[in-house]
Amino acid sequence: MHFSIKGKKEEGLKLKPLKKGKKSGSSSQRTRKGKLISAGYLFPSAFGVLLFFVLPFMIVIYYSMIDNPISHEFVFFDNFVSVFNNSAFQQAAKNTMAFSAVAVPLAVVLSLLLAMMLESNIPFKSQFRTFFLSPMMVPIASVVLIWQVLFHYNGMMNEVMGLFQQDKVDWLNSSYAQVVIVVLFLWKNLGYNMILFMAALSSIPKDILEVAVLESATPAQTFFHIKLRYMSSTILFVTIMSLINSFKVFREIYLLKGDYPYDTMYMLQHFMNNTFSRLDYQKMSAAAIMMAIVMVAIIGILFLTENYFGKDVEG
Amino acid sequence: MIIPLSKKRADASAELEKWNKHVKKKKKIKNARNMVNICLATMFAACFAVLFLLPIVLTVTNSFMSASEISANYGQVFATSDTGGKVYISEKVNLKFIPDMVSFSQYITVLLKSPEYLFKFWNSVVLVIPIVAFQLLVAAGAAFGFTRYRGRIKEIIFFVYIILMLMPYQVTLVPNYLVSQWLKIYDTNWAIWLPGIFSPFAVYLLTKYMRRIPLSVMEAAQIDGAGEWQIFRRICLPLCKGAMCSIAILIFIDYWNMVEQPLILLADQEKHPLSVFLSKINAGEIGLAFAVATIYMVPPILVFLYGEDYLVEGITYQGGIKG
Amino acid sequence: MKKSKKLILAGLVLSALLAGLSGCKGKEPQKEEGETKEFVYVPEYVDIDIECDYIYAMAAVGDELYMNAVAWDDEEDERHEFLYKYNMLESKGEQLPIALEGDYNVAGMAMGSDGNLLMAVSRYEYDTDENGEITDSRSTLELITVSPSDGSVKNTMDLTEVMGGGENAYIQQFTVDGQGNIYLSDGNSGIHVLDKDLKKICDITTDNWINSMLASNEGDVYISSYGETGMELKMVDLAGKKLGEAVQGVGGGFGNREFFPSVSQSFLVRNSEQISYYDLEAQATQDLYKWLDVDINSENVNYMGELSDGRIWAVTRDYEASASTSGGPEYELVLLSRKDAAEVAEKQEILYGTMWLDSNVKRNIINFNKSNSQYRITVKEYVTEDFQSGITQFNADLTTGDCPDIIELSSLDFSQYASKGILEDLYPYMEKSGINKDDYLENILKAYEWDGKLCGLIPRFYISTSMAKVSQVGDVTGWTLEEMLDFAETKEPEQLFQGSTRDGIFYYCIYNNIDEFINWETGECMFTGEGFIRTLEFAAKFPEEYNYNEEEEREGIASQIRNDKILLMQNSISSVQEYQMMNGMFGEKIAFLGYPNSERKGNLIQPTGGCMGLSSKSDKKDGAWEFMKTMISKEYQDSFSDERGGGWGFPVRKDALEKQFEKDMAPEYYEDENGEKVEQPKTTWGWDDFEMEIMAATQEEVDGVKALIVSAEKLPGNSNDEQLTNIITEESAPFFKGQKTAKDTAAVIQNRIQIYVNENR
Repeated sequence: MHFSIKGKKEEGLKLKPLKKGKKSGSSSQRTRKGKLISAGYLFPSAFGVLLFFVLPFMIVIYYSMIDNPISHEFVFFDNFVSVFNNSAFQQAAKNTMAFSAVAVPLAVVLSLLLAMMLESNIPFKSQFRTFFLSPMMVPIASVVLIWQVLFHYNGMMNEVMGLFQQDKVDWLNSSYAQVVIVVLFLWKNLGYNMILFMAALSSIPKDILEVAVLESATPAQTFFHIKLRYMSSTILFVTIMSLINSFKVFREIYLLKGDYPYDTMYMLQHFMNNTFSRLDYQKMSAAAIMMAIVMVAIIGILFLTENYFGKDVEG
Repeated sequence: MIIPLSKKRADASAELEKWNKHVKKKKKIKNARNMVNICLATMFAACFAVLFLLPIVLTVTNSFMSASEISANYGQVFATSDTGGKVYISEKVNLKFIPDMVSFSQYITVLLKSPEYLFKFWNSVVLVIPIVAFQLLVAAGAAFGFTRYRGRIKEIIFFVYIILMLMPYQVTLVPNYLVSQWLKIYDTNWAIWLPGIFSPFAVYLLTKYMRRIPLSVMEAAQIDGAGEWQIFRRICLPLCKGAMCSIAILIFIDYWNMVEQPLILLADQEKHPLSVFLSKINAGEIGLAFAVATIYMVPPILVFLYGEDYLVEGITYQGGIKG
Repeated sequence: MKKSKKLILAGLVLSALLAGLSGCKGKEPQKEEGETKEFVYVPEYVDIDIECDYIYAMAAVGDELYMNAVAWDDEEDERHEFLYKYNMLESKGEQLPIALEGDYNVAGMAMGSDGNLLMAVSRYEYDTDENGEITDSRSTLELITVSPSDGSVKNTMDLTEVMGGGENAYIQQFTVDGQGNIYLSDGNSGIHVLDKDLKKICDITTDNWINSMLASNEGDVYISSYGETGMELKMVDLAGKKLGEAVQGVGGGFGNREFFPSVSQSFLVRNSEQISYYDLEAQATQDLYKWLDVDINSENVNYMGELSDGRIWAVTRDYEASASTSGGPEYELVLLSRKDAAEVAEKQEILYGTMWLDSNVKRNIINFNKSNSQYRITVKEYVTEDFQSGITQFNADLTTGDCPDIIELSSLDFSQYASKGILEDLYPYMEKSGINKDDYLENILKAYEWDGKLCGLIPRFYISTSMAKVSQVGDVTGWTLEEMLDFAETKEPEQLFQGSTRDGIFYYCIYNNIDEFINWETGECMFTGEGFIRTLEFAAKFPEEYNYNEEEEREGIASQIRNDKILLMQNSISSVQEYQMMNGMFGEKIAFLGYPNSERKGNLIQPTGGCMGLSSKSDKKDGAWEFMKTMISKEYQDSFSDERGGGWGFPVRKDALEKQFEKDMAPEYYEDENGEKVEQPKTTWGWDDFEMEIMAATQEEVDGVKALIVSAEKLPGNSNDEQLTNIITEESAPFFKGQKTAKDTAAVIQNRIQIYVNENR
């Protein structure tokens, strides 16, 4: 109680100038003041981001244009050219793109399916939800251990395949490696995505769905024309989250196979990590900037698409 | 015209009430799909659930195996060179759920014999908790800043946040290192804390969420004469409680498992969290790794069990209503 | 209420955070203060004018230093013992003979409360038979009271009983406290205390090995020993007849720390890096200075203490450097006085960055710092815990601009750093200093060239090679991998090398000549080629680990070589004598094959005694070069052949090498009973079951060494490259377990290494 009284007092004090001044003028004054205050709220974060994210990024840009971190001579775009022509970089870029291009849509579609399945009123819904979320809790190191037991040349998968008279596959050292990584990625991320979709599904206005049923729309029509549209922002969100997480899969690959995995698992992060430890900051920075440019483009496209599809719903 | 204060407040709270109702309106289940479909879905979900639970269960059960059982089961996969090949190694890999003999030897090693594990566990706690708390705090402010008085500049800044959030850690790896040396925080916990606290991730999530609070709610309060602080403290924060909890869980999980940051920014291995240590455990100590991992899983599981409803609730809001 | 509490809590946490931040920042200025020294310690070397071979014991009383020394009288062929008293303030020494009979050994000296010198000695007595051969020996422990003025013995007391009378008892530590009580430790962790009238007070035992026992400036006796967490310092509590609790603030860890008496503080502490004070009252250590900063080689410090005027003194003895001068090693007294930084002419500091400080380089640095008035070398050692973090720190310093002026390259990948352009070309500097590069071995200089620039400078080197009998492999100076495998496969000996393992084979065939498999120009990898697959298959014949348990009945290595059970021997040749011994061990002519190499040039140059590069970012290049050029100066290079004590390896200067050869070829003689000169062996070398007396080298042998030196053109491949070795070890494991074919294995290795190579181009 004590607290609320105090609050009132403050409000009273602040209202004073409002009483005195002319209404129209004070309102714009207030807006300006509010703008300033709201910028103040933004300030701590903006300052930190500037210091720990933007400034580092500027340093990256600087490094990308010098010949090496010791002599600091400007070479402008030479590094970009040499990195772009580097076959390891090309391989890494190809793998990273291929991985994200496969894994992210799969993560979105599969988790949407899972969400719809759970939304179809099955028993133990909340238990299932917890189970699907459980991979988030397992420490990466033990995930990697288990994955090794499963996919090692002498691992469980090959044992099982042996039962069906199949030849052994060297999962982690062949073109199958990317499959393994995609499975690992999906396993880790489906749960959270699913939760996001479940939430979105449950918040679609029921009356619209009812109208659809009344107007004898097929389930497919309902899904594509109503549900998907209402969920467009969630889909964007899930896509962005999956994209972030798809870059984090490096950690698992790294723990599975070290700095230099089989070439199909070799990601851009490997390239950057390795060039860092070898002092080739200029290569690392050039690669990072090229990656950033592609990222900006992708995000831009995603936002445009979302705007296009989600507009009419938003009204 | 001066409206009595109490009435103004009443107006604002009515607005809030209405909005809250809208949000919390539960989905009514009125469809009668046939049982076959539900059964199929259940079975399917059950299969998936087993696959998803497999690693966590394996980690826990294997932690109760003795070192010799572990090396017998997994000797084919992990070269256990320190046993010198004198230990029995099964011809095939055995993925066992139930140990032949329940043994606490791994736990005894971890908890009693070598205090280093507990020490690193404590390091993890020390590193992660401040990040979670202060990232939320900073992000709440920033999200509020992004929500109020949106303009072109703020939108651009916000887009920059998104880009930065999407950058893989490796991009800013070296610069972060250089900045931390410049600030003289290299090899101190601050080198992990500060970039963590100012991470744009929570800002993005929370802004997305806060922007869905209907403008009318805040405007009503403003007309009542509420200052920015009151709007933030009395309207935004309470409404975002669920979201903040769910974001806290995400941040916690993320930093609890961090590997790269401490490796680069903390030269002193004494300061490394258990997650780094866990990832470096060598092949000869698989059993130990399982035990340590199990212990390491306890806080995330607790956080989950405690916060799962928040997670769902927070997101429900997130995905749902458009502002 | 609840909410306000939360707010308060949040506020508290925030303020704690801020306090932490400010605290963190607050520390910085202090640090900088430490860097800009207000005071410097200036060493002053004093010749204490003592002619002796060895000082058994030292004791300081006030400003007087008592030394019990022994000198060998060449003319009379007998030991000559004396007591030497030196006044450190007045720089006056005085020799006092002591009339101790028989053969004895002084374990410790201290000043008793009555002003007499107490010496704890072990006396040896021998029974001899009629031929003068010793049949039995006994030792007794005695406490002798000696007059400090004339050295006369006033009293002798048998300590055997006091010390517990055990057969193995000896006097390990000896000291006297402020009351004049006498403390003895017996090497079995027992401490025995006598009062000043030589009556026993008590015995105290401890579980730990006693490292040192000494009295603090307050007069209490403390012992230092290694406890569970590191060095502990405990007081000997006479009243309780036990040891006190360990004091705090001694500094953790098991690093070698020694305590010495001090005047102004409780103790002086030294470790291999620095000198500190320890204060019992504050329970804290206060660092004074680093040994290197006062131009003292910590390895040479025998004893130290503090004068009444606050100067710290140390008695040093340079075992290695002084060996070249005529007399024996000389004892020197160093007095360290604290002076205002402003008073001392400031020298420009040159940073020498190294992973580990080589002991030869350390000596050179100290000598340079002592003699050069303009520059001063400071050392930064990067490896404190593990190698990898040292490298990381070094790389970080390179990028942030804190690059050392001189970079020690021996444990770094030379080509990686040379290719980055961070190493200055040294040829122009040589020219400027009038050093003719033709005076130095061409192949060595060439090996350290990068794009025609000399990027590294080494004073000495040795050749890393492998040997086989000429009768087995023919008179060749190298072989290709194919030739080597052909040879090994047709012979099928028990072992290729002594104790060969798969890793050993990999090192021999692949890691040390990795450039054979990777063409860095084109980025082509040859791991799927025949050579690598054959190596894999060949390596599979060897055990993963060499079983040393069987070694007990093992045949000696020389006999195995002679019986062709071992075909190859990997070794390094760093002297003519080593070459002579290898020839003797093989028993026939040796072919020095080196490591498999397609051009048959497999002998590798290994630097020793430092390998320095000059940072191109340095702003004191001339000063750095001042120091670097001493490494190849004629004087320094010539000193190698004077005495082999200081380091090893061949000098890079041609005439110094010739001088070395001359010395190796010069025979040594002794006169036999008929007065005739007979050549005597220079030394004896042995390896396992083989032993050989080394006579003067023949011209043929020296020519052989010359040929070997000239044949070496390459530096070892970066066999420290963990990435490559890890990949190969990891991926070859299934092949060795018989689960994969060599071809599949090679393909995976090729794939992974290809990535590595592509990335590096």
